[in-house]
Amino acid sequence: MPELAAHGLRFLRRRWRVLVALTGWSLLEAGQTFLGGYALARALDTGFLAHRTAVGLYWLAAAAVGIGVGAVGTGRSFLGVAGLAEPLRDALVTRVVTGGLRDAVAEPHRADTAVVSRLTQQVEIARDSFAGLVVVARSFVFTALGALVGLLSLSGALLLVVAPPLVLGLAVFALALRPMARAQRAFLTADEALAEAVGQTAAGLRDVVACGAEEHAARWIRSGVDAEYTAARVLARWGMVRVAALGLGGRLPVLLLLVTAPWLLDHGVTAGALVGAMTYVTQSLLPALQSLVQGFGGAGTRLTVVLRALVRGGAALEAPEAHAGGEVAGAAVELRQVSFGYGGTARLVVHDLDLVLPVGTHLAVVGPSGIGKSTLANLISGLLRPDSGEVLVNGEPAGRSRSRVLIPQEAYVFSGTVRDNLRYLCADPVPDEALRRAAEAVGAGRLVRRLGGLDAAVDPTALSAGERQLLALGRAYACPVPLVLLDEATCHLDPAAEARAERAFAARPGGTLVVVAHRISSARRADLVLVMDGARAMCGRHAELLADCGLYRDLVGQWDAVGSGSQPAGALGYPDGVNPVAGTGLAVDGRHVVPHRAVTQVQPAGDLGHRGTLGGE
Amino acid sequence: MRTEDRLLLAALRHSARRTVFLCLTSAAGSAAALLLPTALGHTLDLLLRHRAAPHLMLLCAALVGASVALDAAQTLLSGTTDAKTTAWLRDRLLHRILGVGPYAAARFTPGDLAARCTGNAATAGTAATATASLVTTLITPVGALVALTLIDPWLAAVFLAGGPVLVLLLRTFARASSDCVSRYQRAQAAIASRLVEALGGARTIAAAGTAGREAARVLEPLPELSREGHRMWRIQGRATAQAAVLVPLLQTAVLAVGGIRLATGHLSVGELLAAARYAALATGVGAFVSRLAALVNARAAAARATEVLALPTMLYGDRKPPFGEGQLELRGVTVVRGGQPVLEGLDLRVPGGSTVAVVGRSGAGKSVLAAVAGRLTDPDAGEVLLDGVPVPLIDRAELRREVGHAFERPVLFGTTIEDAIAYGVDAPTPQRCRAAARAARADGFVSLLPDAYRTERARAPLSGGETQRLGLARAFAHCGRLLILDDATSSLDSVTELQISQALAHDVPARTRLLIAHRASTAARADLVAWLEGGRVRALAPHHELWRLADYRAVFEGVADA
Repeated sequence: MPELAAHGLRFLRRRWRVLVALTGWSLLEAGQTFLGGYALARALDTGFLAHRTAVGLYWLAAAAVGIGVGAVGTGRSFLGVAGLAEPLRDALVTRVVTGGLRDAVAEPHRADTAVVSRLTQQVEIARDSFAGLVVVARSFVFTALGALVGLLSLSGALLLVVAPPLVLGLAVFALALRPMARAQRAFLTADEALAEAVGQTAAGLRDVVACGAEEHAARWIRSGVDAEYTAARVLARWGMVRVAALGLGGRLPVLLLLVTAPWLLDHGVTAGALVGAMTYVTQSLLPALQSLVQGFGGAGTRLTVVLRALVRGGAALEAPEAHAGGEVAGAAVELRQVSFGYGGTARLVVHDLDLVLPVGTHLAVVGPSGIGKSTLANLISGLLRPDSGEVLVNGEPAGRSRSRVLIPQEAYVFSGTVRDNLRYLCADPVPDEALRRAAEAVGAGRLVRRLGGLDAAVDPTALSAGERQLLALGRAYACPVPLVLLDEATCHLDPAAEARAERAFAARPGGTLVVVAHRISSARRADLVLVMDGARAMCGRHAELLADCGLYRDLVGQWDAVGSGSQPAGALGYPDGVNPVAGTGLAVDGRHVVPHRAVTQVQPAGDLGHRGTLGGE
Repeated sequence: MRTEDRLLLAALRHSARRTVFLCLTSAAGSAAALLLPTALGHTLDLLLRHRAAPHLMLLCAALVGASVALDAAQTLLSGTTDAKTTAWLRDRLLHRILGVGPYAAARFTPGDLAARCTGNAATAGTAATATASLVTTLITPVGALVALTLIDPWLAAVFLAGGPVLVLLLRTFARASSDCVSRYQRAQAAIASRLVEALGGARTIAAAGTAGREAARVLEPLPELSREGHRMWRIQGRATAQAAVLVPLLQTAVLAVGGIRLATGHLSVGELLAAARYAALATGVGAFVSRLAALVNARAAAARATEVLALPTMLYGDRKPPFGEGQLELRGVTVVRGGQPVLEGLDLRVPGGSTVAVVGRSGAGKSVLAAVAGRLTDPDAGEVLLDGVPVPLIDRAELRREVGHAFERPVLFGTTIEDAIAYGVDAPTPQRCRAAARAARADGFVSLLPDAYRTERARAPLSGGETQRLGLARAFAHCGRLLILDDATSSLDSVTELQISQALAHDVPARTRLLIAHRASTAARADLVAWLEGGRVRALAPHHELWRLADYRAVFEGVADA
C-alpha cells in the first residue's frame, strides 16, 4: 500500500501542470457554489425583503451568470481528468504489455493469456475508477470550499454551526473507509472466484458430465455464489454507515441552523443569510457529500485492488540484440557435462551430457514424448541455463551467443507484411531477392506468391499451422546464422515438405542443423542421431544405433511398422499406416562426423522436459 | 408475456416480502423528504418573526431523523435484496448449466456463461430494487411539483415552462459518444490481439531476443487509444456541464419569480426556501429516467439469463443396468449438427468385453459417436443401449459409474493432482488413483513434481501430453464396464501409447472399450474396427482385413505417425 501511494504521488508530481489546470477550472465551480448562496442572501436582504425587486433580480442574475461560468469550469475540468486518467491508462497498458511479454519470454511454456483480460478489463476498471475518484473528490473539495467561504462571508457564526457536524460526518466516513474497503475487496474477490468457477466448469462441462461430477461442480460454484452473497450483505450493512455519515455531515446542519436560529438572528445574522446558509447545506454540501460517500469507497477500493494486481513487477525489457553472423570458432555446438532439472525436488532431465557437433553437422534428436528433447533445444539455444556444466555455441557460452536461430513447434507469425515476417530475425536490412530465395528454399515460395508477394499483409489466423511453419522456416533461412535449431518446427508439414525444408537447411554451406524429430524420417536424413530415452542418451549414426540401441530400434519400429505385424505381407506398397515417404537412408555425405559414442547419463525425465511445447507433441 | 419478464416476476416473487417492505420504506422516505421543506419553511417563518416554534422544530427533527433512518433501512434492504435475488438467479443458472449436457451448453462460450452467471445475474438481480425505487423516484418529483403548486401556482408554471428546455438539451449529448466508444474499443482490441499473437510466439521471441521490439509493435495503437480516450472525456465533460447548468438555472428562475412574489407579499421567506427545495426535488425526474434505464438493463440481463434457462435439461431414468460385460448397441442413431447430419441412421454393436476402434476421416463424426455412446449428448433419432437398457433410462450416477470417458483435451478439476484423478461420482482410494496414474504412464512425471500427487495444479503447469495422461488416469480410476477413449492418446508418442494400451489390457477393469483412433497402430490393436463414412459404419471388421482396401488405407494418410 505505501508503495502504491508512492507510485501515485510520483505520478501526480509529474503532472503538476494538469493539476494546476484542474484546480483553476474547479475554482470556477467553487465560485458558482459561493454565488449560489451568497447572491440569494443578498437578493433577499437588499432586494426582495427590502421591496427593491430589481436589486434582488440583479443578484439572482449574477448567480445565473455564475452558474454558466461554473458549468464551463465543470466541463473543462474533465480535460484535467483526461490528463490524469489517460496517462495512467497508457502507463498501465504499457506495463501490462511489457510485463506480459517479459514473463512469456522468461517462461514460454507458461505463457499466460490472462494478461489479455488484464489489458482489456482491469486496466479499464483502473482508468474508470481513478477518473471517478478524481471527479468525486475534486467536486467535493471545491464545492465544500465554495460553500464554506460563502458561509464565512455571510457570517462567521454560520460557519460555526455548519462546519462541526460536517467534519464529524467526514470523520465517520473516513473511519469506516478502511473496513468498507475490506468488505468491498472481499466482494470483488468473491466475484472473481465465482467467475472463475463458472468459466472453468463451463469450459470442462463435457468432463464434468462424463465424470458424473455435477454435484462437485455445483458445490464449487455454489460456494462462490454463497461467498459473494455474504460479502454483498456485509457491504449493504456498511452502506448504513455511509448513510449515517451523510446524515451527520449533510442533514444535521440544517436542523442545527434551525435550533440556533434565534441566537443567530440575535447576533446580526439576517434572514437572507439564514436562507443562504440553508441553501448552501441542502443544495451544495449535501449532494457533494452524497457523491463522495457513495463513489469514493467503491471506486477507491476497486482502484487499489486492480492497481496492486497490475503494478506487480514491471522492469524494462532488454533492448533487442542483433544477430552476430559469420565468424565461427571451434565446434558449432559443444555440451560439457551438462545437467539440468526443473528445480525443487524434480529429477534431472539432462544429466552429465557431453556432445560435440562440428560445424556443418546435421543432428536429429529422437526419443519418447516428454523425455526432454525441447529442453535440450532450449539449453543449446541458451533459453535455459544448465544447472551444471557448460553449453558452448561457436565457442561462446550459449546464453550470450546470438549466432543461432531456434524455430519452435508453434510457429510465430504476426499481423504485418510477409516481408516483416520473413526478415524478423535479421538485424540488417535484407534485399527482397534474398527473402524470396529463402522462402523458395524451404518450400514457402508458393505460399508467399499466394499471399500476394512480400508486400502482402499476413493474417496469422487465416493461415494453417503448416503455412505458419513454412513462413517461420523461411524466416530462419533468411537469417545468416551458422546454427539452426528446428524443434519439431515441421510437424504440421507433410513428410515431403518436411524433407525439403530439412535438406535446405542441411545444405547451407557451413550451416549446422539440429532437428528435434517429429518423424523418424528426420533421423534417417541426419548425419547423427541423438537418442534420449530418459535413462541415458546415445549418439550415433542411424545404422549404428539400429544395431546398438534397443530404444532406437523400438522407435524406428513403432514409426515404421505401426501395423504391428498384422499387415498382409508384401501385398501393399508400404506396411499398414507407415509414413509413406521413405527415408533418405544414411545421409553422411562425406562430412566429418564425431565418432560414435554413447553419450553419458540422461536421467529419466518424464514430461517435465517437455513443457517447452505448448500443445504437447 | 415474454420469458424474461416471467423470470423477473419469479425473482420478484422470490423476494416478495423484502420488495414490498422496500417499497414501503422508500415511499415513507419520499414522504419525509417531501414534508421536510414545508416544515422547515414554516419553522423559519416563525423564528424570523421571533416566535418560539418548539413543536414545529420537533417535527423537523423527527423528519430529518426519519429520513436518515429510512435511507439506512432502504440501503440495507436493497443491498440484501439484490444479493438474495442474484444468488437465487445464479443457483437456477448453475443448475441449468450443469443439467443441459455439454453439447447443448456449447452454444455459449465458457466466458459467455461466466459473464451471464456473474455480471448479468447481478444486473438482473437488481430488478426488485429497481422496481421499488422506481416508485419513489416517481413520487418525489410529482409530490414536489404539487407542493410547488400549493405554495404558489406561478412557481409551478415557471418550472413547467423551463422543464422541456431542460429535457431537450439533455438529449443532445447521448448520440455523439457511442461512435467514440466503439473507436476506443477497436484500438484496445488491436493492442490485445497483437499481444495474444506475441504471447503465442513467446519461444520464438525469447530465442530471437526481440521482446523489446515486440513490445513496441504491440503498443503501436496506443496513441490512437489515447486520442479516442481524450475525446471521450471531452464529450463527457460537455454533457456534464450541460447537466450542471440546467437544474440550478431552473431553480434560479423559480427563485426569481418567488422573489417577486415575496416582494409583493404573496410569499413568505420560509415558503421561498421551501419552493427552492421543491424545485430541486422536482428535477429528480432525471433520477426516474435513470431508474427506468436500470430496470431496462435488468430486463435485458434477465433476457440473457433466460436464454440459458431455456436450454432443455438432460433427463435421466432411475434404472440400474443389469449385470453385463458392457455391451454397447447403437440403433439407427442420427445426430444433426448445424443443420447437417453428422451421423445418419448409424447401427453399431460393440460386443461386451471387446475393444472396438472407430476410424474415419476427420469430420466423419467420430467424436460425436463417442459422445452419443457415453450419453454426453442424446441422438436426434435412434437409441443407444448399454447391456440391453436404453441409456436414457439409466440412473445418472449409475451410468457415469459404468461408463468412463477420456478425451483428447481433457479438462481437469480439483485442487491437487490427486483430486484431479479422483474427480467423479465416487472418490476412489489414493491407491487406486496411483495405480490408474501408473497405467496411464502419468506416474513418472507426477513424481517429478514438488509434492508429487499432492502438488497443487495451479503450481504445476502441464503440457498437452501430461494433461492427456491425467485425463486417462481419471478415466481408469473410475470406470466400470465401458471405457470410451476419444483420441485420448493423440499427444503421446507411439511407444508411450503402446505402453498405455498394454497397461489398459492388464490393469484397467473396464471390459469393453470404444476407441476413437487416428493412427493405424491403434486400430491394429483393437479386436474390431468400425470404419465410419458418410454418417454410417461402412464396415466393422479387424484392421488387417480392412487394410486390404485402398479406401481404408487412405483414411490414415496424412496422419502424423508420431
